[in-house]
Amino acid sequence: MVRDYNNRHALEQKLRSAPVAPAADHLMVGHWRTMALVLARADREEAVRRAIASQPDLSMRFAAPGEWLVVSEVEAPSGLVRRLEELCDGGAYVVDQSDGRVVFRITGPNVRSILAKGIGLDLHPATFTLGGSANVLCGHVPVNLARTDEDTFELIVPRSYAESLFDDLMRMGLAFDLTAAFSD
Amino acid sequence: MASLITCPHCGVRPKEEFAIRGDASRGRPEPMDSDEAWHDYVYVRANPRGRTQEHWHHVAGCRRFLVVERDTATHEVYSVVDAAEFALRATR
Repeated sequence: MVRDYNNRHALEQKLRSAPVAPAADHLMVGHWRTMALVLARADREEAVRRAIASQPDLSMRFAAPGEWLVVSEVEAPSGLVRRLEELCDGGAYVVDQSDGRVVFRITGPNVRSILAKGIGLDLHPATFTLGGSANVLCGHVPVNLARTDEDTFELIVPRSYAESLFDDLMRMGLAFDLTAAFSD
Repeated sequence: MASLITCPHCGVRPKEEFAIRGDASRGRPEPMDSDEAWHDYVYVRANPRGRTQEHWHHVAGCRRFLVVERDTATHEVYSVVDAAEFALRATR
């Protein structure tokens, strides 16, 4: 039997309506973002960290000691995996996560008040510094939270949690008139 | 229960992010030890009042096992170390 599979984004149903004009606080979902999980071998953590950190276009998100989620804006999934394997030179396991996770980017002046409704982490600019990242719970959903700009945070969730987290975020942002749309 | 745990990898985190596995102070019996020893290890639980050492799994964070030393009566947390570090110290 032949089956056709459609490549469908996890939030296609939720964000199907015509794009709304972004308000001050806005939630953006990229259609396809490339990312991979890198798990360094024992005693190779520092070498792997330095190799990836030397690449300005790769963003490293802390996942665990010796483990990072590497996000790229420019690479295609297969290209990113190949490049990371070359960079780490056998010192790490690289697993493509591009289809398995969804990236939410939330930005605006009230972003900390919105996130504080679901995340038990101190998000003050002096504590959660620019470029910082952490695995946290948002409600009951495990997310990887990163601060990518002054008032911009990125949440990376497993694909199957995306709809649930989307509903949670919209409810958290209701008081601030949070809007949402695909960014591309 | 202690509501804030200072994870050595992630910093101060709420207890909701963790799963508690139980007593960290007793070692696993040898494979050929008596049935009584294994029965005790698997089924018999102490319910101590006061200072205890427990395995906590940081499920929603770094996913590492930690050893939390805390007081079951006052909820005070004395120390939190990675379980690998804890085992290393025990063998020294």
